[in-house]
Amino acid sequence: MTSPISANIRALTLTLALAFLVTSIGAAYWTVLASDQLANDPFNPRLIAATNDRPRGAIVDRNGAPIATSEKTDSGFARSYKDRTLAQVVGYASAKFGLSGIEAAYADSLIGQDPADPVSIWKARYLGDRAPAGQVVLGIDLKIQKAAADALGGRKGAIVALDPRTGAILASVSVPAYDANQVVDPPKQDAAFDQLSHDPNHALLNRAAQGLYPPGSIFKVVTGAAALENGLDPTKKLRVDDPYQADKSWGDYFVRSASHAHGLFDMSDGFRLSENIYFAQVGLQIGGAKLTDYAKRFGIGSTPNLDLPAAKGQLSDSGSIDRPTLLADTSYGQGELLVSPLQMALIYATIANGGVMPTAHYATEVRDAEGHVVRQIAPGPQGQVISPATAKTLTTMLVGAVSGQGGFAFGAKIPGVNVAGKTGTAENRPGEAPHGWFVGFAPAENPAVVVAVIVENTPDGGVTAAPLGAAVMRAALGK
Amino acid sequence: MRAQAAVPLGRGRFTELALLIWVATIAITGFVAVLATETASFRPTAVVVPLVFLALMLSLHVFLVGIRFRGDQILLPIAAGLTAIGLVLVQRLASDLLLQQLSWSIIAAGAFAATIVVPRDLTALARYKWTWALLGVLLLIAPLLPVIGREINGARIWIKVGPGSIEPWEAVKILLVIFFAAYLEEYREVLSHAQRRIGPFPVPPVPYLVPIVAMWVIAMLVMVFEKDMGATVLFFGIFLAMLFLATGEAFYAIIGLVLLVLGGIVAYQLFGHVQARVDTWLRPFDEDLRFGTGYQLIQGLYALANGGLIGVGLGNGMPDRIPIVWSDFVFDAFAEEAGLAGAIALLALYLVFLYRGMLIALRAPTMFLQLLAAGLSFIVALQTLVIVGGNLRLIPLTGITLPFVAYGGSSLVTNWMLVGILMRVSQISDRMRGGGPS
Repeated sequence: MTSPISANIRALTLTLALAFLVTSIGAAYWTVLASDQLANDPFNPRLIAATNDRPRGAIVDRNGAPIATSEKTDSGFARSYKDRTLAQVVGYASAKFGLSGIEAAYADSLIGQDPADPVSIWKARYLGDRAPAGQVVLGIDLKIQKAAADALGGRKGAIVALDPRTGAILASVSVPAYDANQVVDPPKQDAAFDQLSHDPNHALLNRAAQGLYPPGSIFKVVTGAAALENGLDPTKKLRVDDPYQADKSWGDYFVRSASHAHGLFDMSDGFRLSENIYFAQVGLQIGGAKLTDYAKRFGIGSTPNLDLPAAKGQLSDSGSIDRPTLLADTSYGQGELLVSPLQMALIYATIANGGVMPTAHYATEVRDAEGHVVRQIAPGPQGQVISPATAKTLTTMLVGAVSGQGGFAFGAKIPGVNVAGKTGTAENRPGEAPHGWFVGFAPAENPAVVVAVIVENTPDGGVTAAPLGAAVMRAALGK
Repeated sequence: MRAQAAVPLGRGRFTELALLIWVATIAITGFVAVLATETASFRPTAVVVPLVFLALMLSLHVFLVGIRFRGDQILLPIAAGLTAIGLVLVQRLASDLLLQQLSWSIIAAGAFAATIVVPRDLTALARYKWTWALLGVLLLIAPLLPVIGREINGARIWIKVGPGSIEPWEAVKILLVIFFAAYLEEYREVLSHAQRRIGPFPVPPVPYLVPIVAMWVIAMLVMVFEKDMGATVLFFGIFLAMLFLATGEAFYAIIGLVLLVLGGIVAYQLFGHVQARVDTWLRPFDEDLRFGTGYQLIQGLYALANGGLIGVGLGNGMPDRIPIVWSDFVFDAFAEEAGLAGAIALLALYLVFLYRGMLIALRAPTMFLQLLAAGLSFIVALQTLVIVGGNLRLIPLTGITLPFVAYGGSSLVTNWMLVGILMRVSQISDRMRGGGPS
């Protein structure tokens, strides 16, 4: 039958049918296309549900010592965290507040569904047959971890140690820490989490990888590397007279020497005595473009590849060096630079590793319930950042900074071991005590450990930090 | 009457019966699947409920055969199938509400049967169009009245009846369609043909447009005070669709949609609850919303993601993590356990419903019945699209229920009455032609 409105009815029906088509595509998007990302979202309760009715996989150190385990209770399984000093690294698996740290990054592995094992994922998903949870093995060595935690004590700051050959993180301390057991304990969790999320000291923050600080003198290796690779003769002596300005256009702006120096300095002296004016002049000679290039090559201003969240830092507020005074200040590690302890550890690991930057990683292996290795986590190196010759020259100078005549980093000496390293006293906001840095590696001729130490707001700066670095390296080398 | 006697007396409704067997299969396998995965102790209701429901549907079928009802045979099984899926999901997601939902389906079946016999002459409805309009407005205002009105979850759209509460706008949507159908049948000619044009824009004769615009303005104002975005969108949609159906003027629909967007922008600026809905839709994962207003939607998306292609199986997922899942998020819950395949099958059921309803509209003998059938079919489709779209984060989430499936009594009863009216219309066309779809 034809009616005046038949065509209208058909048109409306067609429009609605098209809307149904769009809706079906929307359903396909969420159920299939966006599925993986949402399924692994750390807040997805499905990832955590496994904790309650069945054991979640353990997190262990490189020697198999437990760091996080699931223990049977009256009402199912509860997570137990063994090492408070690893709180920010290991994180928590809370039914209420989601996952963080390794618990989040390896959430699927910890419920027996590692991405390297598609059969288990398929069986869990479609047959409801979940594999028993395996283990995540960290590169952390609890012995080195304890040495680092003891060294830092109650002082705010961070220590990170890694193996320059592989990038595996051996120790990672961030103070203040917190007790993750409280976050997963139903009676206490609300108060604990509320307190943590409003903590003025940011205990949830993994300062080792996420804390950003001005680097101070430890950054001079970047200036040094840029200069060496751009034809600057390290043995050429430069005149240092405190205070320094390049020309009158700087007005009342001066670069100051920590030791109020007057005299002739070569690069070796510059590192040993941590001479700001020497590196300011070197920076002005090579120019902002080259320094920017090398800072970027060393990873300043970009997020390091890491299996946990990491901060990217900055070379300057604008991302480039656009004026001579900023170039001079950046050259000795001040200006507007911000770096994380991990980034500094990676820069020194590059020097220790013949110019090749390793990729940092906390976890090294995923194992199944029977202990078979499901997945090796061994990310390859980031690439050749500086030449082996440059790396060798810098190493020699860093050894001088620790054990040379009057070396500023003397506190990092270890009897019988050649230590290469550099202290830094990073100026802070006016009125605040400076941050103390030490970054170094040992043994200098065949480095097995790199350590970066930051102690926040310590009047003696690098002098405070250097012995802490030595303690960690001693633990790592068994000395 | 003589012509009718020529049809064999024993002619049954075999298509309907065959499709109801399929409904029985869904209901029984669904309940068995949920029972099999349930950890709580066994409750006899889980067996009694599907059997009572199937007996109920079968008795509706016998009733239709008994009165020699000769209309459509597809709509009843679809509505029964969707209601069965709804009961399975209530058992799965909120089993303490199961008996309540079963009671509502018994009331809905009664309302359906009543609609099949009363009024004797469906076209008579058109004569009382102003009565329906008045009744609709009264029902709409009712929740705002002091003693009987109730506010639940921030929306003031309920009225107290005995121990429970009902949402009157569910009934208003049917009254609105009846009113529009009657009014537009009468004045269609003036609205669509006797109009002047300024350039490409049709200028309708204003006096004839006033009543429907007034009706719509009242609905909108009331909805603003009752803080319910879903009903507002639905009323606006009904208004636009009916106007388009009657006049064929796409311009009305386009200007209407522009007005809707403008109204939305104004409402976003003025009303906190609208702003919250839109913000939640645009950025649910933001830190400040993730554990607040965005929580429910995010939990729904997790459920969808867990569904995959074929779902995790009834009872195996965790859709119960979505707050108020049984009324707001049944689609996501179903998609988690039945997968994309199940979700598309569910949408296909609504599409078949829409197709059947529109076919009835095309075959209806008078313009009033055509507009009525098309308008009612449109309601079911639009409601489905709006709530599923909200569940899928395609549009902001509203409190509209998924027809037949979501938990909720008012919605179930009115939707079954809507099916009854559609089947009545199909019977009239059938009678006129002495045959029909079977």
